[in-house]
Amino acid sequence: MISIQHEDVDIGKLINDAKSSGTGAVVIFDGVVRDDDIREMELEAYEEVALKELKKIAEDATTLHNLLHVDIIHRIGRLSVGENILIIVVSAGHRPEAYAGSRYIIEEIKKGVPIWKKELTKDGGRWVPGDHAHGSGKPT
Amino acid sequence: MTVKVRFFARFRELLGTDILAEPGKGAAISTLVRDIAQEKKEGYDAIFDEHGNFREFVIVMQNGKRVETADAGKTVIADGDEIAVFPPVAGG
Repeated sequence: MISIQHEDVDIGKLINDAKSSGTGAVVIFDGVVRDDDIREMELEAYEEVALKELKKIAEDATTLHNLLHVDIIHRIGRLSVGENILIIVVSAGHRPEAYAGSRYIIEEIKKGVPIWKKELTKDGGRWVPGDHAHGSGKPT
Repeated sequence: MTVKVRFFARFRELLGTDILAEPGKGAAISTLVRDIAQEKKEGYDAIFDEHGNFREFVIVMQNGKRVETADAGKTVIADGDEIAVFPPVAGG
């Protein structure tokens, strides 16, 4: 499942669904709203483009790291401290591929998928700067 | 012709979004965005520098494909285009 959505997901079900007869490892990344003295976090996406880019990242990760299954669920809307923001579930035959595939996916998302976060504080709000100063590298 | 301009994140807060515009035939992306942004100084200043060029970090898309901001002055808009303008991404 590759999705941008408001609702949370059942991670346990995703793990079960990621398993097949060839699976030897499942790696889960769960990005969570951290309490940096904030009330809530507001997430916004250029949904049509972001979804396409997530699908491309999943395809590339599958090819590059021999993954058997990939789920990427990125939530948008208002989230409270402790809520899930991003869930990545990957399965592979062995743990090196599963770890590498999961890492590849999160790093690619941070590089260029058009999603933004605003931390809502008692004094107002602040947009979170991206990890990559120029946002998205070169045009693709 | 009619095109849609979408701003995201801070730019959306400053300028609004899903703005329908009717640029003249042969208009370039940078001209279109500049004309819209000029209506609100804070929004204009967030996107353009003192020379009227896109700030280095600004990202521009035409129909979901990235356009180098340096090329936006010569990239012509077509009827029905969707132009998106946004700051660096911060997903994940």
